Amino acid sequence: MNALYDLLLAPFAYDFMQRGLLSAVLLSISGGLLGSVLVLRRLALMGDALTHSLLPGLALSWLLLGRGPLALLAGALVAGLLSVMASALLSRLTRLKEDAAFGAFFLVAYAAGIALVSQLGTRVDLLHFLFGHILGVGPSDLALTAAASGLTLAAFVLAYRGIVLEVFDPIFARAAGMRGGWFYAGFLALAVLNLVAGLQTMGVVLALGLFLLPAASAYLWCDRFAWMLGVSALLGMIGSTAGLAVSFHTGLSSGPAIVLALGVIFLGSAALSPRYGLLHALALARRERRAVRHTVD
Amino acid sequence: MAGHDIFRLQDVTVHYGQRTALDGITAHIPCGALVALVGPNGAGKSTLLRALLGWLPLTRGEIRLGDKHPRHLHPRLAYLPQRPEVDWDFPISVREVVAQGRWPSLGLFGRFTAAERERVDRALEELDLTALAGEQIRRLSGGQQQRMFLARAVAQGADIFLLDEPFAGLDLAASAELVHLLHRWLAQGRTVIAAVHDLALARTHFSHALLLDTRLVAAGPAAETLSDANIDLAYHRRMPVLGVRP
Repeated sequence: MNALYDLLLAPFAYDFMQRGLLSAVLLSISGGLLGSVLVLRRLALMGDALTHSLLPGLALSWLLLGRGPLALLAGALVAGLLSVMASALLSRLTRLKEDAAFGAFFLVAYAAGIALVSQLGTRVDLLHFLFGHILGVGPSDLALTAAASGLTLAAFVLAYRGIVLEVFDPIFARAAGMRGGWFYAGFLALAVLNLVAGLQTMGVVLALGLFLLPAASAYLWCDRFAWMLGVSALLGMIGSTAGLAVSFHTGLSSGPAIVLALGVIFLGSAALSPRYGLLHALALARRERRAVRHTVD
Repeated sequence: MAGHDIFRLQDVTVHYGQRTALDGITAHIPCGALVALVGPNGAGKSTLLRALLGWLPLTRGEIRLGDKHPRHLHPRLAYLPQRPEVDWDFPISVREVVAQGRWPSLGLFGRFTAAERERVDRALEELDLTALAGEQIRRLSGGQQQRMFLARAVAQGADIFLLDEPFAGLDLAASAELVHLLHRWLAQGRTVIAAVHDLALARTHFSHALLLDTRLVAAGPAAETLSDANIDLAYHRRMPVLGVRP
């Protein structure tokens, strides 16, 4: 009992750990919701590219406006929008297909971002920026996280039907007189908002982990969309709590620690899911082979 | 029966950039008919369906549905694309998909009452899906998946169905079932407009036909419209190359 206390609960006696935990739990809610859409719309890699392209915007606004959360948010929003529009333009007007246009563009943006951040200050700053720094979660960061999480939850509650239709069957949504434009604009804005909110805890590169991994895990367990949303949020909370504890004990940055904990959940789900997991697929294949052998005999 | 036209097309012309997809189509589609859209690939069948939905800016001409522009009649109009581009692994049940048919008229906040649930039940029953209602959609056969989308359209309250190649990819049994269903709808006074490739099927099972080759080649009762002479005209006498005639 005592060992368990030391392992899991003792770390959260500290103020900075409580703030980190609260921030991670709030982000797990919005991350689970947005991540589910990302997984089901097959935008996972696009989301990954998007996070990298936020870096130059973040660095520039830090350079010009300071590192307040609102300044960072403005920088990231502008960078995200510009990158998406520029790569959409490239894929539409040139011979390049979407993935090449996005991939190439985001890579250059990422390099520019690293160059800018390394001009800013010390190497430590760069590391914190990329991989998260739990000690840096201040009250204003927490306020931004709460706002991001609350807004995302409100959007999903209010527009649930619209979101399901837009993700599942955009053609039907259109025939029913809905407009898809607001959906993607709103989704992009919420995604960027949450990525910036996750910056201090998770870092730029790994912030998407809190979106993608819980949702991908939940996808392997759930056959109902509403369940998938809830289960991803829950798995996100479990993974980030465990990750923060690991980070406390080992001194590992909080971002990688949380993503590794979520990774364990993801790999476990991929192996063990009763309907869609690896073990199930292997058992099925073996049973089929045996059946074939029987009929041949 | 004059005056009971559900669609009136007047000189409907659609250009995609330089290419003319539809050229000056003037036709009336009667209420409660089973209409086959027939023509070679690229004749504008899908384009005409999308124009009837009010999705395409017309270069020239106009389409009226009753007295209205199609956009104002959404709950009555249902559209089934050639191969619905949905993710069959989506975590959703057959019943949930059919229930989506109620959402356009309920909006984002309308309550899903017992009466709504009953409409969904009836739609499932009409399309013989009650036993499969709880299944994840990947577990349905191709014919069952198509019936699920038709059930959603029925739940929506549609009475005009625009179907893009509904017979493509169906096996014989599923085709026969679909023909049976379309005839039942015809008897109920519903209107179906479907792009069809199989000429024999269009001749025997549809009441009316529009024969297209970018322009309108012929329109009217199916048997007359799809006469050999008209087919030759629409397909530019390309048929004998594949067929047996000298």
